[in-house]
Amino acid sequence: MIARLHDKKTITMGPLVTNGIISENLNLFLAFIIGIGFGFVLEQSGFSSSRKLAGIFYGYDTVVLKVFFTGAITCMLGLLFFSLFGWIDLSLVYINPTYLTSAIVGGIIMGAGFIIGGYCPGTSFCGAAIGKLDGLIFVGGLFIGVLIFGLGYKLWEGLYMAKNLGSPKISSVLGLSDGIFALLLILAALAMFWAAEWAEKKFPREEY
Amino acid sequence: MKPLKWLALFIIPLGLVIAAVPPNTAKPYKLTADQLLAEANTRTQYVTPDVVADMIVNKDPSLQLIDVRSQDEFEKYSLSGAINIPLTDLLSEKYTDILNQDVKMNVFYSNGTVTANEAWMLTRQLGYSNIYVLEGGLNFWFDSILNPQEPASTSPDEEFAKYDFRKSAGAVLGGGGAIQAQADQLSAASSPKPAITGAPKKKKVAGGC
Repeated sequence: MIARLHDKKTITMGPLVTNGIISENLNLFLAFIIGIGFGFVLEQSGFSSSRKLAGIFYGYDTVVLKVFFTGAITCMLGLLFFSLFGWIDLSLVYINPTYLTSAIVGGIIMGAGFIIGGYCPGTSFCGAAIGKLDGLIFVGGLFIGVLIFGLGYKLWEGLYMAKNLGSPKISSVLGLSDGIFALLLILAALAMFWAAEWAEKKFPREEY
Repeated sequence: MKPLKWLALFIIPLGLVIAAVPPNTAKPYKLTADQLLAEANTRTQYVTPDVVADMIVNKDPSLQLIDVRSQDEFEKYSLSGAINIPLTDLLSEKYTDILNQDVKMNVFYSNGTVTANEAWMLTRQLGYSNIYVLEGGLNFWFDSILNPQEPASTSPDEEFAKYDFRKSAGAVLGGGGAIQAQADQLSAASSPKPAITGAPKKKKVAGGC
């Protein structure tokens, strides 16, 4: 009698797994397929080359900025339009909570690792997958880092959990609607792309 | 044309559209009339007084009784732990958090079942889950829990088990059965508090998004 709790058949919109339209297992399988596509695109865009990736810091190659911002904007517009059409319930989409201190510390470590090793975690697997030695070593280092973090968790637990801001959205912090913020972000991204192309002309490098 | 210009030509209009339209705040999963009718026909919204009594006695934290009668009636008599949301205030914003959640089991009750069912229909229509109605309302509650009738001696054992449970639950919840139960106990010289026996098994509220 109390068994009927969530009448999942009544819900015909995303997120698919949260609303019980697809199973957890199918969700994992889809993630696997999408992952293969993601890896393929990364490799084909040259993200398995650490020299190409590091170009963003020197201005001779800004493919990282362009690919990731284009990806983010496509995703953002997609979600906003899907929500507009009633295809997805944005309030059910998981937003990773912001822990301010660990975001800053982690960002610094990640940035330093990026410029020293020439990879970010995802692209290091991309490089390792096609047998790049620096990619393999980077992946090794990644696991050592994970081990150090896990074994010494007690030492940095306070830092790690500090300043939990919940899941704030920049648009609501600024008091803008999601749509207006999206437009501003698009304009900012286009301005950055323009500046990036200017930098590529200004600091060209023949071979890398 | 350069790729950057193509990109700009494509995403700036999309950005303008999304900035111009109001965000979609429509409640996503409303039930259609057909779906609601199907639910009403299967009568799955009803929870029997026995289940509710058992949950009250065991102080089950997942139970949230909601009295949809007027405040006057609520103050005169209410089930223990119930909160009062008069039907007239059902859609008031201050109650949204209580009604629209997926942790507790919201059980509406009124004197009969008409008002509680009205509340159930409205909230189900809004897409809220875990909404139930106390079967038979308070009238049936009085008859079954507070003043249970002893079954005929030829009744099956389950009827007696149910009766025993109702009698002892009624005693705890302050019904007329209490006197009878106490009298029974005095003669039996058992523990001072009536024990709850033969409680019907209840299913746990599980899931959530």
